[in-house]
Amino acid sequence: MRMHPLLRSTILLIFIAFMIIPVIATMVFSISTRWDRSILPEGLTFEWWQKVTSNPAFKMTLRNSFYLSFGTAIALVLLVTPSAYWAHIRVQKSKAIFEIMSALSFGIPGVILALSLIRFYSNIPIPLVNTPNILLLACMELSFPFMYRPIANALDSINLKTLTEASMSLGGNWIQTLWYVILPNIMPGVLSGFLLVFSTVFAEFTLTNLLVGARFKTFPIYLVEFTRFDGRQASALATISFVVAWIVSLLILWISGRKAVSAGGAVVVH
Amino acid sequence: MDWLPLSPLILFALGFQLIPVISIIISSFNSKHGYTLNNYERAFTPMILNAFKNSIQLSTTTATLGVIIGAFVAYAIISSPNKFIQNALIALADVTTNFGGAPLAFAFIIILGSTGVITILLKEVGINLYPKFRIYSISGLTIAYLYFQIPLMIMLILPSLLGLKKELWEAAINLGATTFQYWWYIALPTLAPALLSSFFILFVNSFGAYATAWTLTGPDVNLITVQIAALIRGEVQLEIELADALSVVSMCITLIGVIGYLSLARRSRRALS
Repeated sequence: MRMHPLLRSTILLIFIAFMIIPVIATMVFSISTRWDRSILPEGLTFEWWQKVTSNPAFKMTLRNSFYLSFGTAIALVLLVTPSAYWAHIRVQKSKAIFEIMSALSFGIPGVILALSLIRFYSNIPIPLVNTPNILLLACMELSFPFMYRPIANALDSINLKTLTEASMSLGGNWIQTLWYVILPNIMPGVLSGFLLVFSTVFAEFTLTNLLVGARFKTFPIYLVEFTRFDGRQASALATISFVVAWIVSLLILWISGRKAVSAGGAVVVH
Repeated sequence: MDWLPLSPLILFALGFQLIPVISIIISSFNSKHGYTLNNYERAFTPMILNAFKNSIQLSTTTATLGVIIGAFVAYAIISSPNKFIQNALIALADVTTNFGGAPLAFAFIIILGSTGVITILLKEVGINLYPKFRIYSISGLTIAYLYFQIPLMIMLILPSLLGLKKELWEAAINLGATTFQYWWYIALPTLAPALLSSFFILFVNSFGAYATAWTLTGPDVNLITVQIAALIRGEVQLEIELADALSVVSMCITLIGVIGYLSLARRSRRALS
């Protein structure tokens, strides 16, 4: 049932080239003096990096993206962990809610989510529209499956009932049980979810662009602005995005011990 | 009482998913004079029809290519005898699934733009990509989308490929089947639900994509997500009801995809268990 070794190597080499070349080329482009009329870069320089990082907007957008990603991930941990635990131990039926939310989160495109939130919240007297808060809530919706899936998998993989009963019989209440007994046992799942949400939101462009526009500039918005007028500085910014995505993904792989990060239902939205 | 601790979650789902979406469905049928299909009639200009056509075509192409290429690469990965290479490649697919959007689109401009690195390289050996090919077009978008579709397919199909039982292969060969017969009559039908359900995931993934298309082509390529975004930003006309109608039709398409995925994924799990 094995593939012919020559065919296998060819397929794998083309695959690796296709996945790696765009990233490497972007990195080299960002340290090249010129690379648009010769096969190899004409020279190397850090000028574009210096230029782009010394811009005050650079630090601001990086900070905004960090706040948004961190805030979304924390908010989702707080929302999902206790309710997923409760659903798994007490109300099995309610797991369907999580599944439906995950399916809708994947099935509703970003532009439509943005439209629906703008339309709904501009008609009711809650001051959310055009604020970073609505962006954070939208990002929570967008990345919900990335938090739920790893936590649900972690909850399924431990002996939830025995642990809970043991804790209860020793006099623990629900909150103590969750905090002192369950949480340490599902920590890898929670951390994976946290990092997956972090990297998804860090790269988020659609919702930011449509919900808050220039009022709250994030790193991807800054990057797209640069692609329109200075490709070399943009390539430095793109390199930073790639590096952040790689670091976070490798951290997840390390935490979850080589298990698939993006398995099954938790699918990416671009 | 048992449901009470779930109220924050339910409130979140209602407030930021269900009710806003239902509200655009309702307002898409609304006008000053009561319920109407008027918004739909006015929304479907030839330009919008073309946008739907382009979006469906792009999604079908990248999903089909993604499924075929991804399945072959996944099979090549698991049939590699070297465990280290296997794990490294799975990690590569895993990481790149989460790539996409603006930085990816820009990377493709750098390599395949009119003065791109590969464009120049190919020119040196006598192949002129431009002006026949343009990265800022639908065919350019197809290549960029494959960058996240192929690794996603690999991650989706790996469990099913690993679940193919060795005994089936041995039994088939012992009974005199050729390799081709094994794949055509046994492996492929077993894998069919998984392949088809992955197709749906990839289709929806591509249909809803916006950031990559916007960075790469701006308003040049007419996709439905680009049109809806333009209506939200008020670039075209201030008739947001039209965006509601377009969103409802788009959601019907993506939700059919999601339902297709969910029902087939269940069948696939049964076929392999």
